[in-house]
Amino acid sequence: MTAGTAAPERESVGADMGAWAGRWARSAVVYGVAAAGLAALVGQWGGVSPPAAYGLCSACHGRDLTDWALNHVEGTKLFVTAAGTSWPVLTVVGLVLGSLLAAKRNGEYASINLGGNARQFAYGAVVMCAALFVGGCPTRIIIRTGYGDVAGALALAGVAAGVVGGALSLRWAARR
Amino acid sequence: MIVSLSSLGLGLIVGYLGQRSRMCSIGGLRDFVLVRDTALLKGVGAMLVAAWVAFGAIRVIAGSDAGFGLLAAGTTPSGIAACAAILVGALLLGFVATLSGACPLRQHVLAGQGRVGAWAFLAGFYIAAVVYTSWISPHIGSWVL
Repeated sequence: MTAGTAAPERESVGADMGAWAGRWARSAVVYGVAAAGLAALVGQWGGVSPPAAYGLCSACHGRDLTDWALNHVEGTKLFVTAAGTSWPVLTVVGLVLGSLLAAKRNGEYASINLGGNARQFAYGAVVMCAALFVGGCPTRIIIRTGYGDVAGALALAGVAAGVVGGALSLRWAARR
Repeated sequence: MIVSLSSLGLGLIVGYLGQRSRMCSIGGLRDFVLVRDTALLKGVGAMLVAAWVAFGAIRVIAGSDAGFGLLAAGTTPSGIAACAAILVGALLLGFVATLSGACPLRQHVLAGQGRVGAWAFLAGFYIAAVVYTSWISPHIGSWVL
């Protein structure tokens, strides 16, 4: 009888811990602190360093990975930052796998097709060119601004203005 | 070796948290402009402050060639033309990323949870990476950075 009462109790403690961790994981503030702190740590002691504040970027790390793969398979001499020259930078692979893991664990994985895929393809191409031109995806621009990068702060101002313009044009298109 | 391991681990953690929190670095401002929702904007602010604190702490602990001032040394754009180019490129980046619905990092997360449009976005993304470094970047040079 005691064993019968003890087991559910332990289970409920575990469930409480799980609910607590799940609530924290859903907070955008926790994501921001974790992403920025880990990016700084990885940049300093994880070897992802020669460009400053390079810990987390989806555009630059994706460029490094594709160019590294092409250089090794096809023998081309495309530009790769010093961080990802000998061993590839696998951040983008980790991003997709981590998100897949989270979605599978919480039953949110679903193959959804909203249409407009050719448009998304074109948007992706333009976003990559613009991101490589200014030196980072919006996430790395935020991290660079925190690092004290003047060009990063300038780019953050430009991105903010672009986002306001894009949101207003979306609203204009929806109301027309 | 350590680069691959640390970046893969960082990507796994950020991808997991990004899927749970639906965080998007341009979504904060977009949601604020459209529906006055500040949940994601707080995340952007937290990321900015946390980056500032973390890099400051690392400079104190380990030292760095970026100096101890508020602005890191050697990051100032070379002139008014470089400033204008960065502003125009960032404006285009923010505008098109808003139209596509999410920032590039969020598109990776959406691809992981099964959004087909995000996979189309990523296809264009990586093809453009090769096109940019092969043909566009040699003509521009690296004067912007």
